[in-house]
Amino acid sequence: MTQIGQTAQMRLEGVSLSYGAKLVLSDINLDIARGEIVSVVGPSGCGKTTSLRVLAGLVSPSGGRIVYEGTPLSGPRRDIAIVFQDYGKALLPWRTAYQNISLALETMGTDKSERPDRIHALLKLIGLGNHADKFPSQMSGGMQQRLQIARALAQEPSVLLMDEPFGALDAMTRQTLQDELLTLSTKTGATIYFVTHDLEEAVYLSDRVVGLLPNPGRVGRIFDVNLPRPRDQLTTRESPEFLHLRHELYQFVKGAEQ
Amino acid sequence: MTLARTIGFIASLAVAILFIFLWHLVTLYKLVPPVFLPPPMKTYDALVQGLASGPLLKASLATLQRMLLGWLLACVAGVGIGALVGTSPVLMRYLGPTLEAFRPIPASALIPVLIAIVGLSEGMILSVIAFGALWPMLLATIHGLQSVEPLLYDVAGALRMNMATIISKIGLPSAVPDILAAMRLSLTIALILATVCEMLSGNTGLGQWLLYSARQFSSANLFAGILILGVFGYLTNALMTVAERHLLRWKSPHEANRAGIA
Amino acid sequence: MTAPAGPTRPFDWRPLAVPLALITAWELAMVLGPATTSETLAAPHAVLVGFFTIVADGTLLTATAQTLGAALGGLAAAVAIGLVLGLVLGLSALIDMLLEVSIEAIRPVPSIALVPLAMMIYGFGYRMEMSIIAFTAMWPVMILTRTAIRDLEPRLLEVAKALRMSFSDKVMKIMLPAIAPRVFVALRLAAGVALVVAITVEIASNPQGLGAAMILAQQTFHPELTLAILIWIGLLGYGINHALLYLQRRLFAFGTGSEVSHDAR
Repeated sequence: MTQIGQTAQMRLEGVSLSYGAKLVLSDINLDIARGEIVSVVGPSGCGKTTSLRVLAGLVSPSGGRIVYEGTPLSGPRRDIAIVFQDYGKALLPWRTAYQNISLALETMGTDKSERPDRIHALLKLIGLGNHADKFPSQMSGGMQQRLQIARALAQEPSVLLMDEPFGALDAMTRQTLQDELLTLSTKTGATIYFVTHDLEEAVYLSDRVVGLLPNPGRVGRIFDVNLPRPRDQLTTRESPEFLHLRHELYQFVKGAEQ
Repeated sequence: MTLARTIGFIASLAVAILFIFLWHLVTLYKLVPPVFLPPPMKTYDALVQGLASGPLLKASLATLQRMLLGWLLACVAGVGIGALVGTSPVLMRYLGPTLEAFRPIPASALIPVLIAIVGLSEGMILSVIAFGALWPMLLATIHGLQSVEPLLYDVAGALRMNMATIISKIGLPSAVPDILAAMRLSLTIALILATVCEMLSGNTGLGQWLLYSARQFSSANLFAGILILGVFGYLTNALMTVAERHLLRWKSPHEANRAGIA
Repeated sequence: MTAPAGPTRPFDWRPLAVPLALITAWELAMVLGPATTSETLAAPHAVLVGFFTIVADGTLLTATAQTLGAALGGLAAAVAIGLVLGLVLGLSALIDMLLEVSIEAIRPVPSIALVPLAMMIYGFGYRMEMSIIAFTAMWPVMILTRTAIRDLEPRLLEVAKALRMSFSDKVMKIMLPAIAPRVFVALRLAAGVALVVAITVEIASNPQGLGAAMILAQQTFHPELTLAILIWIGLLGYGINHALLYLQRRLFAFGTGSEVSHDAR
């Protein structure tokens, strides 16, 4: 779908990061095109989550830079939204579903009169239309993660950074949310940077899968996924191409762990 | 379930009335000297007369006013200073341990020191109450702000919130359970300090009323005063419970129990 | 994330800066200023001198012994009554239900309200102080014991049933050991309450112990002694709490369950 070198929306140029004496990321180069879905996989300690935090602007790289829409990234931006893995902690427990989405609009200074319509539209989009007044503690894990995605979408992001968003969910919920995410990406056209440890998930969702190597975290190999869209939980996952990619990814991660 | 609860409550009320009847019998047969234990009816008369004719009502209102005003001052100062210190790493580093060192000092022990410095005029009693009741809320606010879920700061960062917004939308709301628990404790402290100050200063109030009744061996008046203090304690506690139920309704039932709502 | 701290981290002097600066300023103001002969405030060095004076002449020791004696006596009664009541209420849902209104009516009475009554009955001295301490400190013991019994692991009770234990065996061998950690937490809370109430009663009326010593010092215009005793009370409270915390950790390494904070009425 997208080739490296085409006009990139986001470009990592020799990004490296060290905490004290420990080098966590080393010379990462990656171009991400607008609307692309890029997954990141790799053994633990390879800096998957760290790379996401750098892209979010939450951490500044020690070396190299990130160019976003042609200008260097200097900190968090509202058009780059994050969905954290730990939905239970990333939502404000004292706010209802409605109010949690409102948080994003409040901080962006959205006009008060506009908020209700937008919040209700987002709740509906994400399938929580009937749960506006529920507190996170009254929602299932899947619903909480949907809510977090809705809050991220409230920022009207052009880039969505997702940190193992479905890792803690059961298999059925996970597949449902994967399909919903694909639908959302077509609807919104947002670029998605997706960190996961689930190799099948990476292949299923992505246009490209970036395999990271650990100690220090660096790009090992980039896999192009040329599976047709729209994708389907049964047919896509049964296609020879899918199985082949899964096999290669598995070999890569296995090799990287040694 | 609710029916069972209602029946239980009525039975429980009956038991309480039975206790009052026992109290009546004890005084009737003078099992305890009446100087110490007045009959329930006499206590009731003292209560009604004292409230109707004024002196007890005046004393009660004076105590209530001192307690609530002192407590409100303490709330504002405690949460305000706590928010300031709790959100500033610099202030926290310099002041945190010093403030923490005040924790083991009983609020009442501050009274003699404060009397020496500021005396016991009306305004000073208020400041004594406020100063004594301020510590739990100050420390709870700091503690609450220090224990905000760290991931929420990332959420705030990703939304590019400024410091004021982070404090008002994330820090303080997440400290609310701690602050509420401290407010409850502070109400009790405020009531005790108000009473002690009245005893020491002789200013109109229930503390002075109790001491005066005891010196006159007027047990009925004494019991009437104790009763009113008990009602104050009960009501303020009940109000805090209502407030917690409402403000902490977002907690799951399990957490709510642990927070001590039950 | 921050860099890992090296093995020889320099001493953090910052927490000491503010108190030291305040004490120095206070000292200088008292010594250089016109308020040298203040009847309301004493210079830090005077507080220190005052402290050693009352340590040397035995006043502080006597007063401390009186306060701790009353607190301990009252605490013992509070634990005994609170434990029995808590056991009864925890074991019998019926009795718990029947006594609910009566208990909820008595519990909110602030300790200080009973001072004149106790004074009338017992006069001044240990008995009146101890009775008020007992009344106040028994509530946390009662409530924590009751919840501890309620929260008992049902499996443990099934063990008792399977072994066909007698009721007394069940209480002595299963229940009491199982709730011991939480009862100890209650004891620690009650000890704190006992000390606070003892000092409050002494300040309000009872002419003995540390509280009365503070009042006496204030009335005879010895602010340095008032402050010295205040600091001593703080140290005492801190020491007792930490000693009990230490004991708690040593005795009940298997955990104390959730801690519940309680108001010191």
